[in-house]
Amino acid sequence: MANDNTKNRKAILVTPEVCIGCRACQVACKSWNQLPGIKTKNNGTYQNPPDLASAAFNIIRYSEVPSEKNPVRWLFVSRRCMHCDDAGCMKICPAPGALYRTKEGAVAFDRDKCIGCKLCVNACPFDVPRYDADGKVTKCHLCFDRIGAGMQPACVKTCPTGALRFGDRAELVSTAKKDGFGTIYGEEDLGGLGTVYAFKEEPKLYGMTDDPAIPSSVVFWHTVLKPFAVAGLGGVVAAAAIHYLAVGPHKEEEEV
Amino acid sequence: MTNHWIDLKNADVILAMGSNPASNHPISMKWIMRARERGAKLISVDPRFTQTSAKADLYAPLRSGTDIAFLGGMINYILEKNLYFKEYVVNYTNASFLVSPDYKGPADLDGLFSGYNKEKRSYDKATWSFQKDENGLALKDPTLQDPNCVFQLLKKHYARYTLDKVTNITGTPKEKLVEVYELYGSTGKPDRAGTECYAMGWTQHTVGTQNIRAMTIIQMLLGNMGIAGGGINAMRGESNVQGSTDQGLLFHILPGYNPVPNAALPDLATYIEKNTPTTKEPRSVNWWSNRPKYITSYLKAIYGTAATKENDFGYGWLPKLDVGQNGSWLNLFDKMHQGQFEGFFAWGQNPACSGANSNKTRAALAKLKWMVNVNLYDNETGSFWRGPGMNPKDVQTEVFMLPCCSSVEKEGSISNSGRWAQWRYKAVEPPGQSWPDAEIMNDLYFKVKELYKKEGGAFPDPILNLTWDYGEKDTAGKVKHIDIHAVAKEINGYFLEDVYDMKATPPKLIGKKGDLVTSFPSLQADGTTSCGNWIYCNSYILKDGKEVNMMARRGKDDPTGLGLFPGWSWCWPVNRRIIYNRASVNPQGEPWDPKRPLLKWNATKVGPTGTPGAWEGDVPDGPAPPMGTDGKFPFIMKPDGVASIFGPGLNEGPFPEHYEALECPLEENSMSKQRINPTIKIFGGESDAFYSCDARFPFVATTYRASEHWQTGCMTRHCSWLLEMQPQNFVEMSVELAKELGISNGETVVVVSGRGEVQAVAMVSERFKPFKLENSTVHQVGLTWHFGWQFPEDGSGFDSANLLTPTVGDANTMIPESKAFMVNVRKA
Amino acid sequence: MTEMVRKSSGDEILNHWVLAVSCILLIISGYGFLFQTEAIGSLFGGFNTMKTVHNWVGVVFILSLLFSMRHSFKDALEYDEDDRQWFKVAGGYLSHKVKVPPMGKYNPGQKLYYLAILGAGIAIALSGFAIWLVQGNQTLILISHLVHNVSFCIFIIAVPVHIYLSTLANPGTFQIMVNGTLPLEVAKKRYPKWMKAAGKM
Repeated sequence: MANDNTKNRKAILVTPEVCIGCRACQVACKSWNQLPGIKTKNNGTYQNPPDLASAAFNIIRYSEVPSEKNPVRWLFVSRRCMHCDDAGCMKICPAPGALYRTKEGAVAFDRDKCIGCKLCVNACPFDVPRYDADGKVTKCHLCFDRIGAGMQPACVKTCPTGALRFGDRAELVSTAKKDGFGTIYGEEDLGGLGTVYAFKEEPKLYGMTDDPAIPSSVVFWHTVLKPFAVAGLGGVVAAAAIHYLAVGPHKEEEEV
Repeated sequence: MTNHWIDLKNADVILAMGSNPASNHPISMKWIMRARERGAKLISVDPRFTQTSAKADLYAPLRSGTDIAFLGGMINYILEKNLYFKEYVVNYTNASFLVSPDYKGPADLDGLFSGYNKEKRSYDKATWSFQKDENGLALKDPTLQDPNCVFQLLKKHYARYTLDKVTNITGTPKEKLVEVYELYGSTGKPDRAGTECYAMGWTQHTVGTQNIRAMTIIQMLLGNMGIAGGGINAMRGESNVQGSTDQGLLFHILPGYNPVPNAALPDLATYIEKNTPTTKEPRSVNWWSNRPKYITSYLKAIYGTAATKENDFGYGWLPKLDVGQNGSWLNLFDKMHQGQFEGFFAWGQNPACSGANSNKTRAALAKLKWMVNVNLYDNETGSFWRGPGMNPKDVQTEVFMLPCCSSVEKEGSISNSGRWAQWRYKAVEPPGQSWPDAEIMNDLYFKVKELYKKEGGAFPDPILNLTWDYGEKDTAGKVKHIDIHAVAKEINGYFLEDVYDMKATPPKLIGKKGDLVTSFPSLQADGTTSCGNWIYCNSYILKDGKEVNMMARRGKDDPTGLGLFPGWSWCWPVNRRIIYNRASVNPQGEPWDPKRPLLKWNATKVGPTGTPGAWEGDVPDGPAPPMGTDGKFPFIMKPDGVASIFGPGLNEGPFPEHYEALECPLEENSMSKQRINPTIKIFGGESDAFYSCDARFPFVATTYRASEHWQTGCMTRHCSWLLEMQPQNFVEMSVELAKELGISNGETVVVVSGRGEVQAVAMVSERFKPFKLENSTVHQVGLTWHFGWQFPEDGSGFDSANLLTPTVGDANTMIPESKAFMVNVRKA
Repeated sequence: MTEMVRKSSGDEILNHWVLAVSCILLIISGYGFLFQTEAIGSLFGGFNTMKTVHNWVGVVFILSLLFSMRHSFKDALEYDEDDRQWFKVAGGYLSHKVKVPPMGKYNPGQKLYYLAILGAGIAIALSGFAIWLVQGNQTLILISHLVHNVSFCIFIIAVPVHIYLSTLANPGTFQIMVNGTLPLEVAKKRYPKWMKAAGKM
C-alpha cells in the first residue's frame, strides 16, 4: 500500500541531538489523546513507562553510552510509530480500514474496525502497535485529528527545543541535511518513514534498528502467497471447467 | 534575571552552574539550543551528569558546596591570563576604588576578614570601606596599580585559588577547570557575551549569596553585565516567584524592595534617612535617592485618605521588626517548634515536605493551636496530624482546609524570571467550593476588620485604615467580589491631586487627579500620588484617555532582532528588558559589540526633553547621555554609579571566600582554618543536629527536582500522567558507591541523615562519579524532594527528601542549605 | 426396487457436512481477511463478527476433521499394486478411454486427498489457534501466519477439486453423501474390490 502521494506527505523529524529529555511530548500526547495514567515503578532509570504501551504512544528512551571526554553520554530519543510508507502493520492487517493511511501519509487506526487479531504487532519492524484493554490496536496516529485541521501533532506543539518538528516531509529532510545532519534515518527505509530522525552519528548508537524491514515471511506471504492463492483458485476452477468440457463427466458404461 | 529568557539566545557562552535547565526550566533550553545553533557553547557544571550536561559542549563535575572555590579559581585565571575587559572594568566597576588600608582579607587573616566578632558570629564592617577625598568622593586609581585598589585586593584574594587548590577542593579534574575557565573567559572580549543561569543549586547553601556574588564579579570582569546575551540570570523555581518577591512576600521587604521598617525607625523621616543612600558623585544617578517618593506613595496606596502628612502617612501603622529580628522560614519554624505561635496560615505551600528538616517542621505544626491550609489539595501539611510518627490523639492542632483555585481558574498577572508581568485570563471555572486566593483574603479581611471594629483590639488602626477599594460593595460595606484590575491599578498608582512639574516654567501639568500614574518618575513624596509598588508603575496606564493594561499586551514585533519584544506583556522597570543596559555601550555611547547593539546613543535624534541626543534600542537606564560625554554612570541603582566588585554589603565579607558546608566530609577547609561560613546562625536545638566528618554519615548528599514534578509534588503527584513517568522518590549514586554498598540499580534503599531517614529507589549510574580530592575520595548522592507520604495513597512514592536536610541557612538570606549535607545509604 | 449398498454411515455423513460447511465458511471468511474484501465481511455482519465466526468455526472444523479419522484414516494409509497402477492412468480422469485398475472403497486419489486435507487441516488449525491465542512470541506467530496461509493455499485449491470431482465430474457421487448408499450395480463397477471383500461380488 505504498503511498504515492509523496508530494503532500507530512512527517515528524526527530533530532535527538537537541532533545533534552524533558518528556513534555509524553504528557502532551496523553493529554490530547486522553490516555489513562499507567501505574509504574521506578526501575532505576528515568525511562518510564519502560516501553510503548496501549496508553503510551510515545516515550523518550534514555540510554547511556561510553564517552571519551565525560563520565558517560546520555542520549534521549523519542520512540513512537514510524508511519512507514511500506507499513508492515497495514500489510498484514486483515480488517479493512482498521489501519489506514491518511492523506498526510500517517498510519492511523480505527478502533471500531480493528478485529483484535494482533497480527500488526508482529509485522511491525519497530515493535510499535499495542493493544488496549478492549483488545483494540492503539499507537501514535500522528495526531491525524489535529494535522487534518491544520494543527501540529500535540507532541511537536509542546516540544520546547525543536527536537520534534512537523511539516512537509521532503522539506524537513532537506533542511536537516542542510543543517549538517549526515544521516537521515528512515529517509529510504520501508519506502521512507513518516518519522524521520536526523543524526550526525551512527543511528545504531542511539539504539535505532539497523536496516529495518518487514519480516521476510510477511513479505513472502504478501508478494507470493496471496497472488498464488488467487491464481490457484482461478486455476483450479478453470481446470475443472476445461476438464468438464474436454473430458467430460465419468460415465459408468465406459467402464469395463 | 538581569536579562530575560529569550535573551539566552544572544549568548556566546552559557554557563549552567547551580542549575539544571534541561530538567527544571525546559523552556530556557529552547533559547539555549537556539544559541548553540549559532555556535554558542553550553557549559554544565554540576555534581551529577544531568540532562543539561548531556546537551553541553563542556561538562565539569564539582562536589556540592564548592562553587566559590570553582569560581574563585576562574577569577584568578581571568586575572592571571589577562582575559578581563579592561575598559569596562575601569569605567563601569569599582575596581579602581581605593579601599581603606585597615581592610584585611582572608589572605591575611586565615579565612576571615577584618572586623570579625567570634561571639556574635558577625563582622564590624567599618574597615570594608573606601578611601574618600575631601569632597567625599572615593579615591580611585584608574591604572589599577595601587595595592589598596579593589582590583589589586581582588587579585590578592583570589591568587590563593590556584588550580591545584581548587581541584583539591572541588574534585573537578584540573584540565576540566582550565577548559571551563578558558572558554568562559573568552567572553571578556567586547564582541563576546557570556551568561550565567543559576537556580537553587547556588542559593541553597550557607554561602548561597556569595556563590552568586562570585559570579557577578566574573561577569563584571568580563564585561558581561547589561549586554544582550549576558547577565546573571536567576531561573526562578516557580512561575511567579519573581512576582511574589516584587510584591513583598518576604519578611524583610515591602513591595518594590523597600525595606520593612524596624523598631529603631520610629518615624518616616528616620526610615527615609536610614534607607535612602546618598552620594557625592554628581554623575551617579543613585536611583534609590527616590526612596521617599516610593515609600510615601506606597503608604498612600494602602492607607488612602487616612494617610496624611500630619500622621506620617500612616507609617506608624506599618508592622515593625525588632532590631535584628529575622523572620525567615527557618526562624519561623524554630519559634513554632518552641511553641511560640498559636496559629499558622499555610497558604499555597506544603511545609511538611518543602521545609528543610521536615521532621522538625512537622513537629512544629503539632505545637500550633490552629492551622489553615489554603491549597488545591489536602497535603502532607494539612494532614500532618495523621502522618508518619504522629499520634492523632496527641495532636491538638485544629486544621482548617480552604480549597483555592489554580492559576487557570482565575484572572491576574504573573511575573516570570525575566521580570515580565504577563496578564492571564480565567480559562475554566474553579471546581466545587474553591475560591481564588484574593476572594479568600477579601472575606478574611472584612471578618478581621469587623472584629477589630467590634472589639477594638490592641492596635486596630492598621486594619481599620486599610484601603480596600477592589470592587462593588454591599450594604455592609464589604467588597462583594475582588476586581483584580482594581488591584493591578492600585499597584500601578494614581495621581491623588493635580500634579505639576514645578521645575518647568510655567509649571507643567504631569497628571490630573484621579488618573493612573504613567511611570515612576512622576511619583511624589508629598502624598499627592499613590503607588502600591513603584517598580510596577507603568504597568497599567492611561493612554489617549483610556486605561490600558500593559501586562495584557501581545505585540510580536522585535525591532532590535534581539528578542526584546517590547510590545509583549510588560516588564519592570518601565518595560526595560535588560537592566543596566547602559553598560552595553562604551563611554561614548557606542555598543561594545556593534553586531549586537542593545542600546546606541544617537547624538542628533531629538530626545524626550526636546533637546538633541537620544538612546535607541531597549528602554535605557535613564535618558541621560552616555558617561563619556556629560552623562551619567551606568549602574543607576548603585550610589557610586558603578558595579561593585568590592561589595561590602553582605555579611561574610566584600569578596566571596570558600567555606565548607555546615555538614561536610572534610576535617579541614584547605583554603583556611575557617571551615564553615563564620557568620551563619547555628541552631542549637536537639532537632537541629549536624554531623561533619562523622563515620555514620559518610556521603555528601544534595536534593533536586525532576522535570515531571513541581516542588513537593502536591500538584503533580495528583496527575497520573506525571506520576507514570516519575512514580517514586529516587536516589542517584555512582556505580562505585553502589558496588561498595552492595546496592543494585532499581533496589529500594534507605537514606539516613542526622535528622531523619527516607526511602528511595537506587538509581545507579555513571552519571555520578566519586570525587577525587587531595587525600580522599568523596562519594555523593542526590535525591528528588517531590514526594510525600500522603499521595500516592499506597505510599509507593515514599516521603520527602527534606526529612534529611539540615536546619541551617545562608548568612544573608537564611535560605536553607538543602544542596550539601551528609548522609548514609543502606539497603532497605 | 434397486438393491442399495451403504457406503457411508449416518454419523460419517453428518460429520462430512459439518466439516464441509465449516471448511467453506472458513475459506470464504479467510479469503475475506486475506484480501480485506468488504463484501465478504458484510456477509458476516462485519469483520469483527467474521473474526469470531472464523475462530469458532475453526474449532468446529478441527474437531470434525479429527472425528473423520475414525472413518477414513485407516483406509487412507493402505495402498496396493492397483493403487500404483491407478496413478499411472491418472485415475482415468484425463481420458475415459484408458483402463483403470479395479478399486476398493476409496481410490488412492481420494486417500491422498484425505491425508492432504488432514495434514493441512491440522496445520491450519494449530497455526490459527496460535494466532488467536498466543501473545508476545513474534517468531511463533509469524511462522503460524505463514503456515496458516500456505495451508490456506492448499485448501483453496483442493476443496474446489473435491467439489468438482464429487459432483459434476462423477454424477451420482453426491448422492452417497446425502443418503449414504448407492446402487449395488454401480458399486460393483466402481468399487469391485470393496464389493468382493464384502462378499457382494
